[in-house]
Amino acid sequence: MVIPWLGFPLGDFIRRVEPLGSAKFVAFQTLLDPQQMPLQRTHILEWPYVEGLRMDEATHPLTLLVGGLYGKALPSQNGAPLRLVVPWKYGFKGIKSIVKISFLEKQPPTTWSIEGPREYGFYANVNPAVSHPRWSQATERRIGEFQRRKTLPFNGYGDEVAQLYTGLDPKTLY
Amino acid sequence: MAPRRPPLPWLKPGLFAGGLIPVAVLVWRAAHRTLGADAIAIGLNQLGYLALVFLVASLTCTPLKTLTGWTWPVRIRRMLGLFAFFYASLHLLTYVGIDQQLDWPVLWGDVTQRKFMIVGFLAFCCLVPLAWTSTDAAVRRLGFQRWKALHRLVYVAGVLAVVHFAWRVKSDLRVPLTWAAILGVLFLIRIADAIRTRRRKRARQPVAARSVDLGPAG
Repeated sequence: MVIPWLGFPLGDFIRRVEPLGSAKFVAFQTLLDPQQMPLQRTHILEWPYVEGLRMDEATHPLTLLVGGLYGKALPSQNGAPLRLVVPWKYGFKGIKSIVKISFLEKQPPTTWSIEGPREYGFYANVNPAVSHPRWSQATERRIGEFQRRKTLPFNGYGDEVAQLYTGLDPKTLY
Repeated sequence: MAPRRPPLPWLKPGLFAGGLIPVAVLVWRAAHRTLGADAIAIGLNQLGYLALVFLVASLTCTPLKTLTGWTWPVRIRRMLGLFAFFYASLHLLTYVGIDQQLDWPVLWGDVTQRKFMIVGFLAFCCLVPLAWTSTDAAVRRLGFQRWKALHRLVYVAGVLAVVHFAWRVKSDLRVPLTWAAILGVLFLIRIADAIRTRRRKRARQPVAARSVDLGPAG
């Protein structure tokens, strides 16, 4: 997907709130409001939705806090009023309707890795070489296009972010 | 006294026309680009869902006759089954031709490595011989007993289709489990009916033959 998001680097926000030096991870939480979000009455996932990033990922200039797209304020279904966009990771890392951001020393739990630890990890970096257990992730179709194209490592942002993961086995970064 | 069978002359033409409406709507929406942002995925999912609906509908005919005594469901069973095959074929062709665009290495990986793809493909494979032998001539050629035995494959296809659906979803299993429950109820009705029929047959046998057949426990 190629989306013209409107937002600002999460790093700017983090620097402004001055977390402790011991903070190694950032945890995010979505609004829990079954009145507005009726599927939260079901048990298809553990609610509220939570996500997390390593501190260096969170302060990377490509990581955005987003309040709009296509020149307009975020519609509810896209995660109003404020959501995360991490362009080199799979979409589920982009937590929507954020109501809480915390700084932690330990890696926080994330909703999809609670739901299916075999299928979803903490990092969720786009990696065409690692198939999801149930489907290939080697190709993608961009919205508005008919032909599939090869998915690029780190969604094409390898030059900018690959150095965050030196020394880690890319196979564990799903 | 057997109830007089109503002719229902509109039954088969009505089902034939009705069964084609979903594909007409899909083609119309695709042509007018109103299937949504991810149109191929929507079309693919709808075709697969329609195949399941028709497959389960065809499996409902006999239990419905068992429960109600109506005979009309059995008259449309073949057409329902053929619609299931029709939509399953479109589902498969859409995946192979439009979604994956004949990327044979990926498709080979699908049918050799990915469980949910394998069961979906096997479900389709079960339907092929059933569609092939769906004519009256095929029943005569095979003989009714062999034809009937072959067509028991439809139960396997039904189970595989529901498993394919359940293994495909990411977390929300409510819809696939509903179809599994429907399939389960239909199977229970068949089993209960089979047991009842066997008991009745047994009861009709003469006492001497029964004791010989069943031994001391009988």
